[in-house]
Amino acid sequence: MSSPAAGRPPTDHAPASGKYLSFRLSKEEYGVSILRVREIIGMVAVTPLPRTPSHVRGVINLRGRIIPVIDLRLRFGMAAATATNETCIVVVDGAGPDGSFRVGCVVDSVSEVLTIATEQVEPTPRCANAGGDYLAGLAKLKDRVLILLDVERVLGDLDPATLVQGT
Amino acid sequence: MSIAVGIARLGGLLERLRHEGRTAAGDLLHGLRDVEQRARAAGWEPLARSCRIGGETIAALAAADAEYDLHAAEVAEHVAQLVDFAARCLQAIDSGTDVAGIVPPPALTLRDAEERRQYAETVAMFVANAIATVGELEEETLALAASATPADAIAGIRRAVHTLKAEFGVLDMTGAQTLCHQAETTIDACVEHGQPFPVEAMLQCADLLERFLERLTLDPYAEVGDVEPQLRALRAVAANAAAGDQPVVLMVGGEFADSVTEFVSEARGHLADAEAAMVALANEPGDGENVNLTFRAFHTIKGVAGFLDLAPMVELAHSAETLLDGCRSQRLAFTADDIDLVLAAGDMIGQMIQSLEGRPGPRHRDWRRTIERLQAAAARADARPVPAAAPAAPESHEARATHGSPATPPARAVLQPQPRPDASPDGDTRPARGERTVKVSTTRLDLLVDMVGELVIAQAMVLQDPAIRRLDNQSLARNIGQVGKITRDLQEAAMSLRMVTVKATFQKMARLVRDVAGKAGKRVALVLHGEDTELDRNVVEQIADPLVHMIRNAIDHGIEGADERRAAGKPAEGRLTLSAYHQGGSIVIEIEDDGRGLDRARIVDKAVDKGLLPGGTGVGDLSPQQIHDLIFVPGFSTAEQITDLSGRGVGMDVVRRNIESLRGRVEIDSELGAGTTFRLRLPLTLAIIDGMVVRVGSERYVLPTLAIEHSFRPVAADLHHLVDRGECVRVRGAVLPVHRLKELFAQGDGLDDVAAGILVVVEADGRRCCLFVDEILGQQQVVIKSLGLARERVVGLSGGAIMTDGRVALILDVGTLIDCAVARPEHVR
Repeated sequence: MSSPAAGRPPTDHAPASGKYLSFRLSKEEYGVSILRVREIIGMVAVTPLPRTPSHVRGVINLRGRIIPVIDLRLRFGMAAATATNETCIVVVDGAGPDGSFRVGCVVDSVSEVLTIATEQVEPTPRCANAGGDYLAGLAKLKDRVLILLDVERVLGDLDPATLVQGT
Repeated sequence: MSIAVGIARLGGLLERLRHEGRTAAGDLLHGLRDVEQRARAAGWEPLARSCRIGGETIAALAAADAEYDLHAAEVAEHVAQLVDFAARCLQAIDSGTDVAGIVPPPALTLRDAEERRQYAETVAMFVANAIATVGELEEETLALAASATPADAIAGIRRAVHTLKAEFGVLDMTGAQTLCHQAETTIDACVEHGQPFPVEAMLQCADLLERFLERLTLDPYAEVGDVEPQLRALRAVAANAAAGDQPVVLMVGGEFADSVTEFVSEARGHLADAEAAMVALANEPGDGENVNLTFRAFHTIKGVAGFLDLAPMVELAHSAETLLDGCRSQRLAFTADDIDLVLAAGDMIGQMIQSLEGRPGPRHRDWRRTIERLQAAAARADARPVPAAAPAAPESHEARATHGSPATPPARAVLQPQPRPDASPDGDTRPARGERTVKVSTTRLDLLVDMVGELVIAQAMVLQDPAIRRLDNQSLARNIGQVGKITRDLQEAAMSLRMVTVKATFQKMARLVRDVAGKAGKRVALVLHGEDTELDRNVVEQIADPLVHMIRNAIDHGIEGADERRAAGKPAEGRLTLSAYHQGGSIVIEIEDDGRGLDRARIVDKAVDKGLLPGGTGVGDLSPQQIHDLIFVPGFSTAEQITDLSGRGVGMDVVRRNIESLRGRVEIDSELGAGTTFRLRLPLTLAIIDGMVVRVGSERYVLPTLAIEHSFRPVAADLHHLVDRGECVRVRGAVLPVHRLKELFAQGDGLDDVAAGILVVVEADGRRCCLFVDEILGQQQVVIKSLGLARERVVGLSGGAIMTDGRVALILDVGTLIDCAVARPEHVR
């Protein structure tokens, strides 16, 4: 029998310590738990989904399965950017109210995997605006700050309420 | 990409490995090699080495099918350690400490591989034999009743059980061994005390073993699970067999002790009903409804008694049920003697109920005799269609005559063996033995259907590959054609695996109608059409609840009482029609009643009262469909009861939600005083559809062929622009609205000049219109795939399809597309 492996995903909303994949959006650096990351693929042709908010880039074929792709820049209200060689789609898994989901996130570039200890994480500052809802916390590194994302809160609301924004 | 990303990817691959098993191993190997190379380049030799060794071992394993599955857990564990190790290396580098200090995980060693393999082989060999043995056991048990030499047959069964027991023992499968042991003991007890063979208990036992063996084929280390219920049943039979003249003992386990009082009073009520019905039947022979009523009473008692583990009562009620069933299905005329028998059975159940309250129950011998008489009477039913059978003597006589050999159901002994005797009397829960079936889990079935879908796409990709098309080779073309044909056949076969008829669901509704009508004191006849219509089983499961709601509503509130109906000049008996049929790429299920219909004026008044509509709104301001839609608004009628309207909306919002989650729609037709029709329009979900691929600008869309009437290149002279109503085109004498897909989807590119493109005439729910597209690319079968959104509801789309170039094309849903096209002018205003 196999004993619980070291790399088991933690339960939802577990303490923010652990390994994070860091990626860039504009000037900021963000982190998402690597246990949520299923794979990283280069930018591919995306089929746009009509009548959806602009941050929903569309859908792609991920080895026979269709998954939606979100532009995280637009999700966070930043200006759109043209794709470069570094632009990636980070495929993440999350658990929503209607079951688990898999979503591709367009990011400017992925950087590295960081191990972050609990004491490095500070709760989201009170002053954060609406965007603060998506944060799991801020990780203080030696020379910079990593914004840790809560996958469920960023992507868990992919339902008609946000997708069908009137006609 | 840096090594960190490689390691992150490895983490993702590990997850896949855990879920997908060997299929993910190939990608994992790539991932390992990648990390290995990067680690080497970075000078982290220990990590590179670990990755290499791990990769080699996994590659060797993955090459050998069976081997891999034996070690799947170990591999995953090892990869997890590797990922962890790599991450720690990374961390060390980051913080500037020495990488050499980190201990690499031990190499993947497959310790007891040989032992496991041998064990798996042994188990596989045993299982192959044992499945056959259990199958025989079951067949022989079922055939026992018709056997000319029951003693020999029982000895055979006992031998089979004994063999199984020994083999389970050798393999140390104690649960199964104990069960076989108890089965053996019970058979012995029955033989010794001259009691009939415990058919039911043995069949249950065989079922359990069968399931266990099935699991063993998948996992040689599977456990048998909970055998306690079967053990208890067998022990009870043995105890009863030995009890002889003792009273039948009924005991209810502690956990259900509270339910007993309730059961006692309920069962008494059912018995009273049954008794009344039997008496009525005696006065008025041939009234099927009374037989049904009695049958239901016994059936209910049997059900609850089974739940409370009251085996003797279950057996008795079951025998009575079998006799009643024979009569119900017209296999035999119900005689006065039968009525007496059933009444006697009812009395005995009454006695048993008393014993639950502490009074003495019936004697065991009497109990057994009653069951035998019931069985004999029921067996006569089976005998009738066979002309060669000895003329059936009066059943009371038979029962007496054969009473000496209770191990054999009496009437059978003197009759010729039946082709397939109903020895497993619970005919409605056990599938016919004649038709061989295999139980397959739905996940595996879905996987198969998905994979066939992929195959269809891959086949089309090969076929359309320019390299292939350039080749001018007859035999290759023939072979490709052959592959295409087989693929299509395979696809059809795979799809049909998931299709089931709506018959079972409809029949459940028949019982519901009888019950609800009875409770409401109304007479309602149910007419069923198209029961053989096939639907995806996932859909069938999900329409049952909405159907129940709608039927209950139709009877409670739609169909009037007899007096009211007569006053309205209708037949006293209400009529409910349930039909299923295919129409335009959908499956339609209709619930039609001839009741009072929806009163649109009242609905509007009520909606105004509730603030759903602005004050002063009248019936004339809305279309009938818009008014009907109001009853789907949650809570529309849950408040105060307005006589004939009340309840019409109860649960209707649930109905609509359920149907829409299947991407279907609910429509209502109603005429005041004449009746209401609910129409559920369901797509063939998950199915493969024939589609027409159209292009608008840079995008491709798939239109379901069934929604298309025809397409044409318009002439400018036929196009008109109507004020306030948009564009129209004259087609074959009709004027149809034109909707530009480009505009509906706010697409940036695509033709603007209608005359330069193509108009496709589409139809949905009786509404026709023209869709304007740039061009038609061709016709193709596509697999409908979910768009992967949390909920499947993007207006105008029913899903996505993966095209032969690997990109996704959206599948259009004509119905909602027209909805939103029609809705647009209002929003503009």
